Amino acid sequence: MHKRPWSPGAISAVSRFVLRQWRHSRLAYSVEEHHCSACTMAPKYKLTYFNTRGLGEPIRYMLAYGDIDYEDIRISFEEWPKLKADSPYGLMPFIEINGKVINQSTSICRYFAKQLDLAGKDEFEALQIDATADTIADLRHTIGDYWWRSEEKDKPKKREILVNETIPKYLSRFEKQVQDNNGYFVNGKLSYADLYLAANVEYLSAVMKSNILDGYPNLKALVEKVDNIPKIKAWINKRPQSYY
Amino acid sequence: MAPKYKLTYFPIKGLAEPIRFLFSYGGIEFEDFRFSQEDWPKFKPNTPFGQTPILEVDGKVIHQSTTICRYVARQVGLAGADDWEAVQIDAVVDTITDFRSKIQNYFYDSDPVSKEKKKGSLFKETIPFYLPKFEELVKNNGGYFVNGKLTWADVYFVGYLDYLNFMAGVNLLEKYPTLRSLCTTVLELPGIKEWVAKRPVTPN
Repeated sequence: MHKRPWSPGAISAVSRFVLRQWRHSRLAYSVEEHHCSACTMAPKYKLTYFNTRGLGEPIRYMLAYGDIDYEDIRISFEEWPKLKADSPYGLMPFIEINGKVINQSTSICRYFAKQLDLAGKDEFEALQIDATADTIADLRHTIGDYWWRSEEKDKPKKREILVNETIPKYLSRFEKQVQDNNGYFVNGKLSYADLYLAANVEYLSAVMKSNILDGYPNLKALVEKVDNIPKIKAWINKRPQSYY
Repeated sequence: MAPKYKLTYFPIKGLAEPIRFLFSYGGIEFEDFRFSQEDWPKFKPNTPFGQTPILEVDGKVIHQSTTICRYVARQVGLAGADDWEAVQIDAVVDTITDFRSKIQNYFYDSDPVSKEKKKGSLFKETIPFYLPKFEELVKNNGGYFVNGKLTWADVYFVGYLDYLNFMAGVNLLEKYPTLRSLCTTVLELPGIKEWVAKRPVTPN
């Protein structure tokens, strides 16, 4: 709330406007109190998701890496149905950036990646990084289909296909890609595709009930490298615990 | 010197058509290679993850149709004026992709019982959920998906439409005049209009 030295009822609309302009130039506000969009303050971010890693964790990794302040709002499964109707397309995670709400986790990651120099040095590099992140997302979606969107009776067969065909198809190609690119996904240097994999691994392993990177030493080394980046390591150590 | 582009896909519109629309809009030459269904097993091992479309850029192979669209969109000036506009476009595109995936999930189901069940929820829930939201979004944005101007989200949606209609078995936009109007706008764009007139005719 702005501090007011006299009653607002006594001031005309024009005077109130003038007073507001004067206050901006004279008084100091904490970041929490300042609501004026006319002034250039750092954007305020509010991320909303379940109390899990899941699709939210890649965004949290990006924000941790960039040391970007944000509100990490976590909704319980019980609360979600009530909030769903007000969310973009009934989906989470979504992020509020200066009061405007956006969903689609991979695109949100890309948005921050550009600001953090993790989205490629030119269009072609960006293309390669995007394609890698999309493919990781495809794998996650297929695993998610098996766990969250299948009938119980279909699960054993779907799991068998995942374990024997799908996961090896993706991970063996990712393994080769990282091997051919000096330990990173694209062009021998860190990009958001690397953070994206690292942020997804524990969730995918929780769903599959085993470490999905067993047998893929280059991918394991990459994830370890990312998880040991100081800002990310600090996030991992302080984040809320969850199974997924 | 401009890169040499070769797009490889099935002999259909499908997931490649938005890419073809974007190249055409930008007046960018590209080889539109289509392999036959019978030849697919021969090409599959040469793709990064066993899927198409793929785009060769001076011989370097890239996959992921949406990402390829974004790459071409950036070159033809349809990817937003800044990062904030870009992420808004990306979010709309991803949502159109979600919608497309759900229709594909129904269409490609080989189990007739499961497919019939999916048809129910597609027509009673999914389509009535997404299309009114898209209609409202375009209405509230001056006739386009984002910020009152043409972006690749518009071209993406219209590029998919024949494929979506084919899979759903209906004219999806019958009750959505604003989206139909957007469709007309995109199909009349120079470059795209010529492409549509000369492209191979396929139902999907």
